[in-house]
Amino acid sequence: MPSLVRFEEWRLIVDTTSLVSLALVGGAYVWTAFRRRQSAAQAARVGLKSFRGMATTFVAVFGLVGLFEVYIPASLIAKWMGHSAGVLSLLTGGVLGSVAAGPPAAAFPIARTLLDGGAWMPAVAAFIVSWVLVGVVSLPFEAKVFGARFALIRNGGSFLVALLIGLVMGWLL
Amino acid sequence: MVARVKGESFLVAVGLLYALALALDPPRAVRAAALGGKVFLAVVPVMAASFGALGLFQVLVKKERIARSLGHQSGWRGLLAASAFGSVLVGPVYIIFPLLLVMREHGARWAIITAVLTSWAVKVPMIPLEIQFLGWRFAALRSALVIAASIGLGLLVELLMPGSRPATAPGPGSGAEDL
Repeated sequence: MPSLVRFEEWRLIVDTTSLVSLALVGGAYVWTAFRRRQSAAQAARVGLKSFRGMATTFVAVFGLVGLFEVYIPASLIAKWMGHSAGVLSLLTGGVLGSVAAGPPAAAFPIARTLLDGGAWMPAVAAFIVSWVLVGVVSLPFEAKVFGARFALIRNGGSFLVALLIGLVMGWLL
Repeated sequence: MVARVKGESFLVAVGLLYALALALDPPRAVRAAALGGKVFLAVVPVMAASFGALGLFQVLVKKERIARSLGHQSGWRGLLAASAFGSVLVGPVYIIFPLLLVMREHGARWAIITAVLTSWAVKVPMIPLEIQFLGWRFAALRSALVIAASIGLGLLVELLMPGSRPATAPGPGSGAEDL
């Protein structure tokens, strides 16, 4: 895929992905509106509210993407997350994802930046999966709700799952 | 509230980095900011689709009701249902965990809880965003693998936990339908 994070112009991406997604979601809204108009309106409000709630995070994430692109040298990414680094690369991805806290939507731009910078795809996949599955920051809360044993077993297992999924994706893609 | 504090402290951290960058090399820092802005603008269409989908799922999926019924489920069908439910769940940790606690209080096995928590990683409404950044093959494969993992990890976690159902589990079927 051509780089998604090296932009020259200010523009919206209007391609198959965005058009199909908008068409599907738009269609779903029309269908919902037919059955119960308040639900469709409410859904739009909830969506907007969620976006506003995440807005500061998005500004921060895209700001970070810009900093990454301009300041992080390719050699650094290659050393820690490149293909040649092998297992270390997977581990780095897994560890980075596990300490991240935030909506997974924020993981995607960062993941793409890493990929464009030369990171090994399995390491990036492990990064994303561990971002969503493993939560070092939310571990205390998880332990409080379900007990320490569950929290530790699930997070530990999830970390391994992240690495495994990374590897499998490397095989298959 | 916790999420907002975190979001804001993240923003503050990035802001500090920019302040540093501006002090050291203003034109480069401005380039970084502009680049970030361009990427943000570029993905507005899929973001609109994703957040629109998020709203729909939030309003149409009756989380509490499904959570309660999953408490009685066991066997493959229960696990698959749990996995499917988790994949369309949206919300922050402080909403999802209490929802899972509700499931637990209604007798959900650890395998079910884990399956929901794990397949929550799929984030169906956010898939357009994932496709835009990482390609449809990546998104499709990652989703499929996470769903598979949710079943496997669910079974594994339950194996390693003492006592699968909570002591006060209601519901039919003592063990006949269990795996």
